[in-house]
Amino acid sequence: MTQFSDERGAELRELFFETAQELLQSLNEEALKLEKHPGDAEIVRSIRRTVHTLKGDAAACGYRELSESAHELEDALAVETASSHTGLAEVAFTAADIFGSMLNAYRRRAKLPSAEPLRKMIQQLGKASSSEKGGKKKAAKTSAAKAEWTEYEKLEIQNALKQGKRVYHIKAEIDPRCAMPIAARQLLLNAVGAVGQVVAVRPETDSPANTDRLELLLASPLSMEKVTAKCRIPTVIARAGVEPIKGKVSKKSAASENKPKEPNGISSEPIPKNTFTSAAEEYESRENLHLGAVAENILRVDAERIDNVLNLVGELIIGKSMLQQAFQELTKHSPKESMRGRVADAMAFQSRVLNDLQRSVMKIRMVPVEQLFRRFPRMVRDVAKQGGKEVDLIISGQDTDLDKSLLDAIAEPLTHLVRNAVGHGIENAAERARLGKPTRGTIRLDAYHQGNQVIVEIKDDGSGIDSQKVKSKALEKKIVSVDEAERLSEANIIALVFRPGFSTADEITELAGRGVGLDVVQSVLHRLKGTVEIETHPGQGTTFRLKLPLTLAIIKALLFRVEGRLYAIPLNAVAEIARAKESDLHQVDNYEVLQLRNQVLPLVRLGRPSAQPAQAAGKIFVLVITVSESKLGLIVEALEGEEELVIKALDDQTVSTDLVSGASILGDGRVVLILNLPAIVERYANSRPGQIGAVASGILLSHADRSQTHRPVVEAQP
Amino acid sequence: MEQFSPVKRSKDGQPVRYLVVDDSVFARKNLARMIETFGGQLAGEAGDGMTAITEYERTHPDIVLMDITMPQMEGIEAAEKIVRQHPEARIVMVSSVGYQENIVAALQRGARHFVQKPVKPEVLYEVIKYVLGEDGTVAAGAGA
Repeated sequence: MTQFSDERGAELRELFFETAQELLQSLNEEALKLEKHPGDAEIVRSIRRTVHTLKGDAAACGYRELSESAHELEDALAVETASSHTGLAEVAFTAADIFGSMLNAYRRRAKLPSAEPLRKMIQQLGKASSSEKGGKKKAAKTSAAKAEWTEYEKLEIQNALKQGKRVYHIKAEIDPRCAMPIAARQLLLNAVGAVGQVVAVRPETDSPANTDRLELLLASPLSMEKVTAKCRIPTVIARAGVEPIKGKVSKKSAASENKPKEPNGISSEPIPKNTFTSAAEEYESRENLHLGAVAENILRVDAERIDNVLNLVGELIIGKSMLQQAFQELTKHSPKESMRGRVADAMAFQSRVLNDLQRSVMKIRMVPVEQLFRRFPRMVRDVAKQGGKEVDLIISGQDTDLDKSLLDAIAEPLTHLVRNAVGHGIENAAERARLGKPTRGTIRLDAYHQGNQVIVEIKDDGSGIDSQKVKSKALEKKIVSVDEAERLSEANIIALVFRPGFSTADEITELAGRGVGLDVVQSVLHRLKGTVEIETHPGQGTTFRLKLPLTLAIIKALLFRVEGRLYAIPLNAVAEIARAKESDLHQVDNYEVLQLRNQVLPLVRLGRPSAQPAQAAGKIFVLVITVSESKLGLIVEALEGEEELVIKALDDQTVSTDLVSGASILGDGRVVLILNLPAIVERYANSRPGQIGAVASGILLSHADRSQTHRPVVEAQP
Repeated sequence: MEQFSPVKRSKDGQPVRYLVVDDSVFARKNLARMIETFGGQLAGEAGDGMTAITEYERTHPDIVLMDITMPQMEGIEAAEKIVRQHPEARIVMVSSVGYQENIVAALQRGARHFVQKPVKPEVLYEVIKYVLGEDGTVAAGAGA
């Protein structure tokens, strides 16, 4: 019927899945609310409304099973006593889960899960009130209409005839396809009521008829043909016969008073007026009207289109630097050229607009982290329940905007961290009581902007991470050697939990401890050019801090040369740039270090150590970078300046090392590689140098580079 | 989907303009598709009763397709308010069987017709023609 088969249908289905997901989310949220305020009729109503919308959408898409399940639930919720049922929240949770897996099954065209558990729960709900409901249904059975007019009605007929109106006996058959006979009846009454006065109706108004036939008496000045035409209502009335009732017909038509809205006497108000009008006035405040309008003003756009625009903006930025370069050359060439000032003005204007354009386009991609955060209350509840713990989740900063692709990418790591916090971080109530903590644990989820970054924090007030435990576990799993472990600082030991194959949980529960481990969390963050930090205080709790760049597409970068090649690193990672002589460098344990003011800075030599023995007295640049708490100095040969880079992703076939995270094209057409700093830091932390200065030295050179070609590794751009 | 001969306004031969009110984006889109196949034009959309009223004031559509259950203000209330201000408004209620009583109430408050969810295009088409009455003409052929 309404199931579409063409591409339009596919598009609609996609929309359906999207909106259905949102509906399930609201269902979960409402269920959580209901759990806190059991028996709140307003929440139950809102659950019912959500389920109703889901039902309707599913039906329109032809997903019958989902629609029917939702329908059953909706019906059950309509029963008065259901709203006070204590298990209602549980039912809603189950429903959200089952509907969710049904949606997944539809999407993947897989076998549908059974809705049986939900049905059982619904039946439980219904039991309390079943007797009442059954009684109602029986009463609904009414025999077909019979035209027996009462004395009063006969009098009315006489009166109408006396006033010069014609009286018609209308027999109408309700269209069998119309599932709402009472509404059909009302519509017919409206139709004929507009042209006359309804004197009588059969079946009578107060019987909530299951009937398929209607008879009524109408007093009207119109001709029989016109009345018959009025009774032809498509989709509702299958057939209608009109017969005039005999009587004197005079020409006095003036007496016909048409009161379409008020069908007279007997026929009026089949359903008692209820509260529809009562709440009307309070809604009329301007703010509310305004709010409604704002909520509507939302556009759904394919993410790909925005990416296209962003890409073009990126090309424009390259164009801008091309222009700037050309202008500089022009200045050099003919410094007296009088047009220079005007060109410079135009360029400044263009660059300002370009900046705004870039910012606006990036803003389109931004979504509030709430989209991600809202799934956690339910999850925390489930995990806590399973572990027999009491946990409160406090969410703040949900309005913080984050690039949509970043948000999607951190969904899984964040889920893992939150699960960990509930599963391993928070102690159970008895343990907490023993330690003198409040028995309810608290997890805080927060997001905020800091400089050019977005920070997402997960903070628990649980047991914290025991560094001794971590150390012994790491030794046991042979992640570090004994003497290495001795040398590691406290913070470095804690950081061991990010190593692959590490898990401190004594027992692995079903929810936490499976799937992604912390090492995956870290690698995802690195891929996103972000970092993850741990701050832990034994006995007081642990904080995980995810730091993410605002966007993946465009960065401000510092350009420099190593071995004659051009590289770039994100400018916000650079803490300072120091100059030093080769002779200032010291060796500690085969690591090269630099004494910078009163700090010892470990160094990473990006080039070959032996490349410049002659320049031992020469000056070198040291870029001091900070990546997640650790500070490192990068030894580079020359600085090239800073520039905005539009990052072009490199596929794995182009670059085989994780040390490079992307490439970019400069205004003059040169290609620059962007280094992946977290990976470099990691490489440094894991290396055990066998000789002086060997740490990561020459890590950027592939074996093909030994011949002094001047082109970067990735000159072939896809 | 079937082909329908386009229904135009009698007075000027222009496409019939619709206001679609439903809290489900999906349902709105679905109805908008159908309207398109009837040769109609979407004048506006609203996701709740309140917006429906402002949108009606703004667009003065020929036909309003109105859902019953919506947040903030339900369809009946919105229908009633619109009809009170604009007795000429043609409002068609769109809802599922379970809300028959509400439909009856809406009909008593001035709604012109109703269709049942899930909406079948051929049913809606008939309803629209009926509700437009003499103000709508069915164009011959399937020209736009």
